[in-house]
Amino acid sequence: MAAGSAWSGGLYVVLVLWIVTVTCSAEPGRRQISMQLYPSSHSTPQAGDLLHVRAVGDNDTLHFLFCSQGAPTLLLIHTNSTSSEVQVNWPEFVARNTSGSLKVEPESSLMYSSAVVFSRLLEYDDVNDTAEPTSDLFPPYDLQNFTWNPINLSEPMALLCGTDASFTNGSLCLQLSFFDSEGRGETWPHLLHSVNSSQLEVWLDGIPARATQSRFLLEMHAVGEAYPLSTIDVYQSIDDEYTPSIFKVSQWVSSVNGSSDVLGYALWKPVAYRQARPALEDATPCRHSVPRAQSGSMVTASSGLIRGFFSDPKSMALNVSFGLAGEPFYNVTRFLSWTLLVGVGSPPVDSFSPLVVAIMAVGLGIPMIILLVGGIWLCIRKSKGASSTSYEPIN
Amino acid sequence: MADLEERQRLLGDEDRGSGPGRPMLAICDPSRLLHRLVVLFFMCFLGFGSYFCYDNPAALQSQVIQDLHLTTSDFMQLYAWYSWPNVVLCFFGGFLLDRVFGVRLGTIIFSLFVCAGQVVFAAGAWTNHFWLMEAGRFIFGIGGESLAVAQNTYAVNWFKGKELNLVFGLQLSMARVGSTVNMNIMGWIYNRVTDAVGSPGHTVLGASLLIAAITCVFSLICALVLGFLDKRAERILNKEQEGTGEVIKITDVKHFPAALWLIFIICVGYYVAVFPFIGLGQVFFIEKFSFSPAEARAVNSIVYIISAPASPVLGFMVDKTGRNVNWVLLAVAATLAAHMMLAFTFWNPWIAMSLLGVSYSLLACALWPMVAFVVPEHQLGTAYGFMQSIQNLGLAIISIAAGAILDSKGYLVLEVFFCACICVGLIAAVLLYFVDCIKGGDLNQSAAARAKLSKEASSDAEKERRPSKPTQGELARLAPMSAFGLRNRYLSRLGAQIPEHCSSHLSSLAYRSVLK
Repeated sequence: MAAGSAWSGGLYVVLVLWIVTVTCSAEPGRRQISMQLYPSSHSTPQAGDLLHVRAVGDNDTLHFLFCSQGAPTLLLIHTNSTSSEVQVNWPEFVARNTSGSLKVEPESSLMYSSAVVFSRLLEYDDVNDTAEPTSDLFPPYDLQNFTWNPINLSEPMALLCGTDASFTNGSLCLQLSFFDSEGRGETWPHLLHSVNSSQLEVWLDGIPARATQSRFLLEMHAVGEAYPLSTIDVYQSIDDEYTPSIFKVSQWVSSVNGSSDVLGYALWKPVAYRQARPALEDATPCRHSVPRAQSGSMVTASSGLIRGFFSDPKSMALNVSFGLAGEPFYNVTRFLSWTLLVGVGSPPVDSFSPLVVAIMAVGLGIPMIILLVGGIWLCIRKSKGASSTSYEPIN
Repeated sequence: MADLEERQRLLGDEDRGSGPGRPMLAICDPSRLLHRLVVLFFMCFLGFGSYFCYDNPAALQSQVIQDLHLTTSDFMQLYAWYSWPNVVLCFFGGFLLDRVFGVRLGTIIFSLFVCAGQVVFAAGAWTNHFWLMEAGRFIFGIGGESLAVAQNTYAVNWFKGKELNLVFGLQLSMARVGSTVNMNIMGWIYNRVTDAVGSPGHTVLGASLLIAAITCVFSLICALVLGFLDKRAERILNKEQEGTGEVIKITDVKHFPAALWLIFIICVGYYVAVFPFIGLGQVFFIEKFSFSPAEARAVNSIVYIISAPASPVLGFMVDKTGRNVNWVLLAVAATLAAHMMLAFTFWNPWIAMSLLGVSYSLLACALWPMVAFVVPEHQLGTAYGFMQSIQNLGLAIISIAAGAILDSKGYLVLEVFFCACICVGLIAAVLLYFVDCIKGGDLNQSAAARAKLSKEASSDAEKERRPSKPTQGELARLAPMSAFGLRNRYLSRLGAQIPEHCSSHLSSLAYRSVLK
């Protein structure tokens, strides 16, 4: 019993320390968000829309560029001045012949840049329900050949939807959210975001499946001038409050060789949802493949933004496959959504919510207090002597 | 020879008449051990079907949820509906067995309820009607808990003295074996049926549950056989029917001492953190610890596997050492440690679940007998009935709450919730320790001290009870005492130490709920 109370006492101390560190480690800072949409002009409809978001902090600026010219691309540019601007040479940008059509002014303020390109949507027929996509792959959908609708801007979010020529109905959509302060996503998986990140939600809505038992994979490229996102770290977390039954976080990070400093990241939880307003049962796990280096020329050809900004990009590619063996197929609900967080610096770290900490503190604290108080009181009573109950000698 | 016969009679072979009229085979003679072993076999398997089918939802959690498109809180309704009828029935089980049906007919009726409930449950799954499954669980619940009372009453009728401990231990182990077999086999049955039919679905689920209902039919057969053997033994031995001996008086509730209320709180706070957790455990181990489904079911059933051998051993230990409150505190603290391990670490869950199994067995052995120490004999029926009733009420409510919490907030918050429930039990246990210290430490005595006290008390109590309202002693003078009571009286006059379970109805009550 004494061991039990000492153990729970130790844990109580650990929990109190945890509360302190949680409250003290909150990332400071806010950013001012301003969004500017450059729609494609009538003369060059295939130019695609360009969305430019400036997130101005205390002494740095984060530029987000999102373009649907070719494959949808999200480009992050981190500069160390609050007055940096992005200059676009429109004729060259639309022509997609040379690099340098998109520049940051002043160029010396550029600290870090990285891009994420969604290149292909693959589908395979999972006849044996094994979720192994090695064979029976249907011809993939190239996202650069999709017909994209104009970007729909509703601050601080932007929505881009597109269809392939072969779709009878349904579309693939990407929704971007930009943040001026720290917080959590509003819908599952409630990813924790900082001001240095933006959230990308990708969903397939009503796309016709080419087999009853088909599953999908999404191919992504990470592009950077020197250090693209290269390795994936999978962290186990005991906290699944915000994504029930998901205990892992996958982080695709880019770091300088040898050092542990993270320059930029793409973060996701390995879960996709099969309904627009999901319940716990609609969660389906997803897997990623090992990132592999790709030639920069392929991704440059597929995305206008990469062509315009990077001169000699390096890229790494991976597949995210949705669904494991035994999970329901895409055709059951014809909806799949997956959320990604892209940002610069170190990825945000989840922590316990105050509710959990409070319950544990109260639950463990009260018995310990009662034990302490009761023990002290008993000792006092014993030291006073239990003479009230026993007989006393008469003389 | 006459001496031997007289001693035999006094030592409770219960021959009122001159013994069996004609010589019978040992296996057919109800007074011989071999026959009673046969009866023991049927008695143990009486409850097997009910315990096998109780945890069917837990063993097939992902299949039930997927095939019927349920949320987790819907799924937990299957457990809640089992507990709802027992909130009321716990008070009346003994009464129904004693006065209305008699043990034999009552057992058969309750077995029929268990069987019918499982068949309705399976039919609901087959036809994809969830309300029918809930109704099936309700019917199953009506029979399930009362069957345990009947099982204990049979045990008390056929076995006496030190044998009774062994028999209760065996019954408990068989119940646990039933739960364990269920956990590990149902998944395999489901997969076999899927292979035979082609694809999973609610019909496959219904078929699997119907196969599980075979164990209930087997238990029903055991009930019929037991009824026949019991009737035959009564005819041959002219044995008196000893009932459950329970008297329920609701007004006794206001006389319950504070220590008893604390024991109730410990009981509720503890069991609501064990059974709903096992109900939801399989998917927890699959998701958090990346176990395969078969492994997850195995680790989920480890609580029951450990409980089967540990309960008799720990019961023996608690009997020998006494100090029940200390053991209860240890058990509750150990369970809290196990839940915190599962919640806040990725340590191998085998460790935490084994700890949970041991502490669960320890608590069952230490907590339920405490009621008998706190409450006078004539209120014991009410006390145990009340305890089981609120235990079932707590289980029903918390099962639904656990499902809802999991759906919205996930496993960590669910585990923290269970930790909070156990903390409530821990607070009550700590308070019980201090209340008991203040009141003189009766609950926390060592077994030797308690035995000495009970010997003194039994001779004092006899003198004390005479002038007050008619009690057993008085009534004994008005009506012929049974041989059993006569033997106890004789032994107490000799100054022999009477085992605490010599009074039949006390022992059946004390062990009735160790099965839970």
